[in-house]
Amino acid sequence: MGKVLKLRKVGFSYGQTWALRELAFSLQSGELVGILGPNGSGKSTLLKVVDGILSAQEGEVLLKGLPISAYSRSDLAREVAMVAQESHFRFSFSVLEIVLMGRFPYLSRFQFEGRHDMDVVFEALRATHCLELMERPIHELSGGEKQRVLIARALAQEPTVMLLDEPTSFLDLRYKREIFDLLWLLAHNTGLGVVVVSHDIDLAARYCDRMVMLKEGRIYSTGPPEEVITASNIAAVYGCEVTVDNNPTTQSPRVSIV
Amino acid sequence: MGGIGSNIMPRTTIKRPLAPMKLIRISLILCLFLFLVIVFSLLLGTAKVSMNQLWCLFVGSPKANEMVKLIVFKIRLPRIVLAGITGFSLSLGGVVFQALLRNPLADPFILGVSSGGALGAVIGIILGLGFGLGIPLMSFAGALLAIYLVLVMGRRKIGMESSTILLAGVIINAFFTSIIMFFIATSANDRLHTMLFWLYGDLSQSLYSQSLVIGPVLFIGFIILFGLARHLNVITAGEETALHLGVNVERAKMICFLVVSLIIGLVVSFSGLIGFVGLIVPHLGRMAFGSDHRVLLPVSSLGGAVFLIAADTIARTVISPSELPVGVITAFIGAPFFVYLLKTRGSGWARS
Repeated sequence: MGKVLKLRKVGFSYGQTWALRELAFSLQSGELVGILGPNGSGKSTLLKVVDGILSAQEGEVLLKGLPISAYSRSDLAREVAMVAQESHFRFSFSVLEIVLMGRFPYLSRFQFEGRHDMDVVFEALRATHCLELMERPIHELSGGEKQRVLIARALAQEPTVMLLDEPTSFLDLRYKREIFDLLWLLAHNTGLGVVVVSHDIDLAARYCDRMVMLKEGRIYSTGPPEEVITASNIAAVYGCEVTVDNNPTTQSPRVSIV
Repeated sequence: MGGIGSNIMPRTTIKRPLAPMKLIRISLILCLFLFLVIVFSLLLGTAKVSMNQLWCLFVGSPKANEMVKLIVFKIRLPRIVLAGITGFSLSLGGVVFQALLRNPLADPFILGVSSGGALGAVIGIILGLGFGLGIPLMSFAGALLAIYLVLVMGRRKIGMESSTILLAGVIINAFFTSIIMFFIATSANDRLHTMLFWLYGDLSQSLYSQSLVIGPVLFIGFIILFGLARHLNVITAGEETALHLGVNVERAKMICFLVVSLIIGLVVSFSGLIGFVGLIVPHLGRMAFGSDHRVLLPVSSLGGAVFLIAADTIARTVISPSELPVGVITAFIGAPFFVYLLKTRGSGWARS
């Protein structure tokens, strides 16, 4: 399992202040990495830099050994898929049509989807348990279903890296779990490199192989969940007194606000 | 890909929602409609033309009446052809604007693009330019200016999603129309005085030569836009999403705006301000065939041609022997339709 993504001393600023500073990060295929940090700590900016929406002013982002600036938009879309935080659909597309959009970077201008595209889309729908939703209009779905469809669309891109920006934020407990189960399976069974930004610390700690905690655009702590999720780290980064113990069933770190 | 549960469920495959054959079939059906409405329109009018006479004319029978020949080929057909081309263009423009601005209420007329084109044409006429190249170029410039103003005025930090963009269009429309009126009122140019009628959209002065100017541009423009149909699909899901999916959003938008401005500018310089076609027809297209632009572009364009030929037939027959400007008919249908859309859909499109 090689390194698919490597960030070297990446710095990005929106103007006056640095949103990311001297950030070093790498991702292997088959790895599920959680990014934590308070609002404004640079989590979403990090994802955008990796996806080439923003270009870093300092350092470099290497994808499979090549700087991402060397990729065209469609080449990049074949390697990196993004499940963004909010998506609203103003036009009436079926779930199948939405997932088919994931094939965009593979089709030439006047080309229609072929057999292979449909096979890929079928797998993506099956992996995300969206097959039975296929015909439904996207805007009629619940939040959890919609999130699964967006993950299916990302899978249809056949990426090597999938980025997710708070995929569980508006979901209830069952759907949160379902999404993380899915991400875990995708990383460990299919070799996808997954980076997930989340505010659900306990949940992320239970599923992620590794965690990165950001503070003011820098990495404050990184490593296995039990090393990153400590009362002192959380107090320092989030400015909030907590106690951390182990979940009696899963043994993963559990955060309680005091 | 591919690992999860692949040995649990048998591998079945799913049918693609849009096959090329389906697209061709739908287009052919609409072409049939177009043919029927053309025949119908050739028959209707102040002077009577019978089906039999029309048949004789087209098969070149010696029984063909000279008078009927004149009416059909010199009066009605050039007008029908221009009406078809105009409807095709306006509706095409509507679909593209709706996708790019992600607003189902956008239309070349409502956004002020038509009046921008008209203003360009009026200035061209005052400057004494010709209809061959000078006036169409001025119209193109006017339409482009209108789009630019709409985009600048409607731009907000969150993107182009609000109804601000429609308000910007309404304001630009009012402003440009008043400038046109000013020129018409103050100019000594005889040609301009006939253009008062033209402010409401008028096809009564149609010539084959006008269609010959627009036709090739429209053909090439349509091919270019059709090549961007999947880009438009993805852009309706949001510009950032489109970037994630590999769309070069800025370039796609630029090409679309240029092509549509050129087409609308040309059309407006010949037929005047005909509103709401680009609103009504794409809406019906979406209801019938969904939102995939590979279907929506041909369906709406052909549908727009059918619609405007029908509307123009009504315009020239309803108070026969007098005539109405065709824009009166389209606005009469379109304005209530706009209100209906606003009430039921808001500025979003969610079919429920």
